[in-house]
Amino acid sequence: MGEVRLEVPASPEFFRIARIMVAGVASRVGFTLDEVEDLRIAIDELCFALVGRGGRLGTLSVQYEVGTDDLTVRGTGHFADGADEPPVLSALSEQILGAVVDECEVSGGPDGPSFRMFKRRAG
Amino acid sequence: MAFDNKERDELRHRFHEYAKTRDPALRDELITAHMGLAEYLARRFTNRGEPLDDLVQVASLGLLKAVDRFDPERGLEFSTYATPTIVGELKRHFRDKGWAVRVPRRVQELHLRLGAVVSVLSQEHGRSPTIGEIAQAAAVSEEEVLEAIEAGHAYRFTSLDAPTGNDDEGALSAQLGEEDQGLIDSEHRVTLSPLIAEFPRRERLILHLRFFEGLTQSEIATRLGISQMHVSRLLARSLAQLRARAEGDESS
Repeated sequence: MGEVRLEVPASPEFFRIARIMVAGVASRVGFTLDEVEDLRIAIDELCFALVGRGGRLGTLSVQYEVGTDDLTVRGTGHFADGADEPPVLSALSEQILGAVVDECEVSGGPDGPSFRMFKRRAG
Repeated sequence: MAFDNKERDELRHRFHEYAKTRDPALRDELITAHMGLAEYLARRFTNRGEPLDDLVQVASLGLLKAVDRFDPERGLEFSTYATPTIVGELKRHFRDKGWAVRVPRRVQELHLRLGAVVSVLSQEHGRSPTIGEIAQAAAVSEEEVLEAIEAGHAYRFTSLDAPTGNDDEGALSAQLGEEDQGLIDSEHRVTLSPLIAEFPRRERLILHLRFFEGLTQSEIATRLGISQMHVSRLLARSLAQLRARAEGDESS
């Protein structure tokens, strides 16, 4: 249905923009507040997994793919400060993500560490 | 605050005594006697979107410090000495735990107002409302709703200090059914993160219900008798703290 792209410095103070945007895009799809909250928690969790609490030198690009009743979000870190190892999710992070989105994965790769998450609207 | 001369002399005498003896009972008495000052100063900060109870607690901490550090030999009135200490404590509270991103007053107010709007809509529809429905009911734009929701996360987001306080612990125990009590007390909660075990019971229960039992924020709100927005704030805060602690563990 459409796609929205966002590129922000790879630092936690910019995650709020990614959260506001996920909420905005989700609202287009007709997600309920509960689901919007879930998406916000998920994107936070994944951004932190990619960038860490201290932030990285470089940027984080986030891509929101709007479906008719679902939303896919992909994020990729473009870091200037070294290693691009695949992000590691803690057991607790996995548990949290499993509860708030339908699908979620993190991976490394030539373009930098990345995540993908997917959520379908209920009802 | 408003003490008559006799009371003021009496208190001065007690401060001298406390300076010498450091008797905890005397200290409690002095704190109690000046709670009015702490409350008065806390009230001056209530327009910033924090519950008065929390503020009074912060102000009491300032009061406690002031009682401990006050030197009656210097001839200063206690209230003169304590006021900047208490105000300093309140300001630090807002700096440390306040809105991490500067949230304009109108957004803070809308955030607080939406709590009630969401509750009413949830009851009417029997499900969580959409952003569009919230905007319509609150007579604001969807963008304003999004901003206000985000404000709940900005709120206290930088708070990395561990204790979230056992505020309304008593009230919570009264509300909880046996099932919830059992849940919090079960070993369940620590299997994935011993970090969760250190949280206050209410936060622990919310984390458990949301991420382990799969209840929605609205369902948790109903179960605990608080608003969905409140659940959202508590979750955001807990997750930020978990993150901070997890990282602390790794680096230590």
